Amino acid sequence: MEEQLAIDVRRLCRSFATGRRRNRRTVEAVRNLDLEIRRGERVAFIGPNGAGKSTSIKMLTGILRPTSGTGKVLGLVPWESRRALAKRIGTLFGQRSLLWSELSPRATLEMLGAIHGLEDSFVHGRIGGLGELLAADDLFDQPARTLSLGQRMRCELAAAMLHEPELLFLDEPTIGLDLLAKQRFRDLLLLLNTELGTTVFLTSHDVADIEHVAERAIVVNDGAVIYDAAVADMRNELLKTKSIRIGFESRDHAASFAGRIEYEWRYASGTSSIVVISLDTGVHPVGPVLDEVMSAAGVIDLSVIDAPLEEVIGEIYERQ
Amino acid sequence: MNVSNAIRQRRVFVRAVRVAARRMVAEPSALVVAGVFYLMVTAILAGLWRAAADASGGSVVGYSAVALVWYVATSEAATIALPPRMIEDIGNDIGSGAIAVEMLRPAPVLGLRVATEVGQMLPRMLLCISVGLVFATLTVGAPPSGSALALAAPSLVLALILNIVTQHMFAAAAFWVLDAKATWFLYQKLVFVTGGMLLPLEVLPEPLETVTKLLPFSAMAYVPARLASGHFEPELIAVQVLWLVVLGGAAHLAFRAGERHLIGTGA
Repeated sequence: MEEQLAIDVRRLCRSFATGRRRNRRTVEAVRNLDLEIRRGERVAFIGPNGAGKSTSIKMLTGILRPTSGTGKVLGLVPWESRRALAKRIGTLFGQRSLLWSELSPRATLEMLGAIHGLEDSFVHGRIGGLGELLAADDLFDQPARTLSLGQRMRCELAAAMLHEPELLFLDEPTIGLDLLAKQRFRDLLLLLNTELGTTVFLTSHDVADIEHVAERAIVVNDGAVIYDAAVADMRNELLKTKSIRIGFESRDHAASFAGRIEYEWRYASGTSSIVVISLDTGVHPVGPVLDEVMSAAGVIDLSVIDAPLEEVIGEIYERQ
Repeated sequence: MNVSNAIRQRRVFVRAVRVAARRMVAEPSALVVAGVFYLMVTAILAGLWRAAADASGGSVVGYSAVALVWYVATSEAATIALPPRMIEDIGNDIGSGAIAVEMLRPAPVLGLRVATEVGQMLPRMLLCISVGLVFATLTVGAPPSGSALALAAPSLVLALILNIVTQHMFAAAAFWVLDAKATWFLYQKLVFVTGGMLLPLEVLPEPLETVTKLLPFSAMAYVPARLASGHFEPELIAVQVLWLVVLGGAAHLAFRAGERHLIGTGA
């Protein structure tokens, strides 16, 4: 069983003493964290600021010892075998660069290869392979400081992946990237996961990162896991709200329809020929509503929209 | 540690030195500034000491004007070849937690850091030596002793490495102290005053002269400068090696304890 688990930790706790003398108190940053993550899974580890995400990652990577609890990452106790584990995991922190700004990424990659004890011939081959996979071959020979943020992040990912890690920890990897660069980066993570089987452990405040990359979401708050499920199931399980967007031939058709329905509705912004119904599916099942819509005059377009994931996550925090 | 691991680590450190040296050379403007600054400071100090020697009948505490110029050319190279705010940078990396990223590599944090700093220091040192040789030769002629000068070269390298290692040892205070700037300030002043950077330590009154010579800071500037000024004293290099072993060990222990403290407390 253990072999199939990339991360297996039980009742992990971490508290910190804060303040001085009389004001000294203990803050529980992580409380009884249980995690079982299979090899090859793509997991989003999310929560508001101060929820305990970074503390958990520090413990899982071995740079922080838990106050209590047990656990293994890739079969090793992280806080006891930090260097051995470092050979098998990759880390990418959006706000801390692995690259040396004055050097080309290729020189940094060669250096990192030596640090990981890799043969030069392997490193050169691996740089070629990653350059092709990440479409970064032409970037590797430019000074890192001249790269755009999106280009740099591709090189950072190459640096994190150089030693073929079995498990990749990503902490806010898309922070500061523009929309296109973010999308490209997410695609790359998916590619690495599917092509190489790398387990992905991602923290991000960007809901789109979670939506596009993760297959499972673990939500933490106040140091404890408050939700753990497949991303695809989150909406259905947690939110009973759906939006139905109906396009009409004319404003009159739209007004006539809106005037006789009993659900909460509004016009789509910038037009009065599109009606958007907000539906509580617990009260009004979707089927009969759709029948009613289809029988209305002048309907030319119809779509049923799930609630945004942001709302779902907000709902999880609120429920707690 | 087994032999293959030790060999692998040595390879890593050698590569780190090479990469860091390339990184420094890739920034020629920083090298030019260091070279110009070195020349200015050396020229001023050399002028002052030559004037002092002239006023004292041709020598000061046994150093001739020629010896004094070669002394300051070397002692300033031992100082300016290092980045001026290195100790603060190391301490800030520790204090800010940036060092945690380095702890996620399968290599010793201190070893890699020292290797990197040595790599950055080497181009600056070679530049200072070149400028210093030309300056001293042009102003006062050949060095007092060729054989002593030959000893000064490895001594200068040892002095710089010792300085780098000791800076790491002092900067490690940031693992425990929230604001370790006072420690760094103290270190800089100790090297400045007791290292023999500005003056031969023999100029100091007793017992200060003896005390400063017993401190490790004298091995960081005074020793190579004394050799370059014509004093063939190979035992001084043995003293440097001894300090390097002692302070290297202390820095190793300080970083090991600091990393454990960070892992244990997260702060």
